[in-house]
Amino acid sequence: MSAAAAFAAWLGASLIVLSEGRRGLAAGLALVTAGFAVITLVGGGVEAAAALVAGGSVAVVQRLRTGPDEWGVMPPGSTARLVLAAAVGLMALWISTSVMTGPGAPLRFAAMSVLGLTVARVLTPSEPPAVLTALGALALSVAAAAGAAGTSPGPALYVSAALVAAGVSWIRVGEVDAA
Amino acid sequence: MQPELAVGLPAAGSVCAAVLRTRPRAALLAAAGLGLLGLVAVVLSQPGRTSDQLGISLSLSPESRAMLIAAGGALALTVVLAPLAVERAILLTWGLAGFAGMAAIAAAGSLEVLILVVLVLSVLQAAASGDRSFVARVRGPVLAVVLLTLAAMFARVEGPQFLPRLAAVGLIAGLSAAVGTLPYMHQFDPQERTATSPIPWIAFIGPVLALAVLARARELIPSEGGVIGAMMIGLGLLNVVWGSLASWRTENGAAAWHYSFIADWGLVLSGLGLAIADGQRAAILLLYGIVLSRLPLYLWSRQSLREKRPNDRPINLLAAAMLAGAAPFAGFAARLLLLRGATQLYWPLALAIGLGLLLWLPPSLRLGRSLGLPRGRQAWGVGIALAINVVIGLYPQPFLALAGL
Repeated sequence: MSAAAAFAAWLGASLIVLSEGRRGLAAGLALVTAGFAVITLVGGGVEAAAALVAGGSVAVVQRLRTGPDEWGVMPPGSTARLVLAAAVGLMALWISTSVMTGPGAPLRFAAMSVLGLTVARVLTPSEPPAVLTALGALALSVAAAAGAAGTSPGPALYVSAALVAAGVSWIRVGEVDAA
Repeated sequence: MQPELAVGLPAAGSVCAAVLRTRPRAALLAAAGLGLLGLVAVVLSQPGRTSDQLGISLSLSPESRAMLIAAGGALALTVVLAPLAVERAILLTWGLAGFAGMAAIAAAGSLEVLILVVLVLSVLQAAASGDRSFVARVRGPVLAVVLLTLAAMFARVEGPQFLPRLAAVGLIAGLSAAVGTLPYMHQFDPQERTATSPIPWIAFIGPVLALAVLARARELIPSEGGVIGAMMIGLGLLNVVWGSLASWRTENGAAAWHYSFIADWGLVLSGLGLAIADGQRAAILLLYGIVLSRLPLYLWSRQSLREKRPNDRPINLLAAAMLAGAAPFAGFAARLLLLRGATQLYWPLALAIGLGLLLWLPPSLRLGRSLGLPRGRQAWGVGIALAINVVIGLYPQPFLALAGL
């Protein structure tokens, strides 16, 4: 179950990297949320998983309301991103299962692949909706990664991450005055 | 309860100021009141005492508390004596948002909470209207978030002996990416407004962030202190040389200020990396100087930089002396402590740092001239910033004691 959830998280992060439309990005974030929620349910408890689901769901709904109204999955010129998604997945798989030892490999794989792919989305030329979606997934992965040691950091961290993921989705770029 | 109030009150002040932005006077009053109460909460907080009112452990270390007080003072100084072209309410909105974030970073009991706060601050700053794109502004801090998260994970999981060492690399790289020093210097647009530029990261939030990350690093990977120190000294020397040379040679005045912050951070990193009392003291004095003097002077130089009106009056020379770390300013005491600490550890290091210090003079003269001829509020501001710096330089002990050193 945990292994399937970890795969879903990687697939979701890959979708975020490969999509330009609101539906593709929302689907990616939904997969990341579901993946982390299932993994966290095992190690962090129901409250933590529920917090991630709530925060991720708000972010997904918000994403479905803004951005280009299309799926936009793998537009022309996406080959490099596809290779990147596969490479990050393989790298995360190798590190989480072979370099690191002990229980919790699915969580380590999911956290590392989502971290790697979201930062790749932010560091490559991207539109604000895609970057904000990646940042929502990033917030969830920060909390999930805290459970990698096998001990739960407590529900407060997951609630905080969920609030950040939901809050980031409400941001409207360029509407705030600055000094 | 003080750490919660230290975070909550300035945040409420910032929100109030943003909501009341159509009524600037009311916004200013509400935000100033709540901000002052937040600063009082920081002053009254007991260092090291943990509060757990919200389910998250919050505690202020003496060093972080001292930096928060300094940042609060710098914010008050720049708002009260703000340049005429800057609207105080907007300055306070952003300043208090940053202050609340800094208090949260300082008080965070775990690295993950700290990381989430950095993420929130970066998104809020990047979302503001500005010349650089949202993506360009968010890149550095988000890279920091990822590096710090990976480092925390590497530090905690089981595995080969090199994992804690990789965690140390991640922590220092993440810190560098968040603050914006080499090799992760944030993109800087000289025309951009200060609040949305990289300056708040390097001069306002950075000091507290660095102290908090290093405190967490000491808890996470206590066995890698030597590795962390060596990396910080290496990065520090790189930033000293690059920052001071670039500050001297670059054509744009605002960019020269940005590089001068990087050069100062080079000394701070070297001091913190020395991991002996003199190095820590030097770093804290330099951080006081960045927050209380260099940052306000940069803000007051902006108008003169735009109008291209450099000047060579005595006040400009005094400012240049302060920026160069000449006696009796705080930078002089800090440099003495740094050289003494480096000599204790490994004397050739003191030689390298000493040679690096020689590079400070030409860019400092240039930056001092860029202040133009301060008048009115600006003149008061420059005078007060210089006076504070002299007091710290002549009587550093109370300021070091505030930081628990």
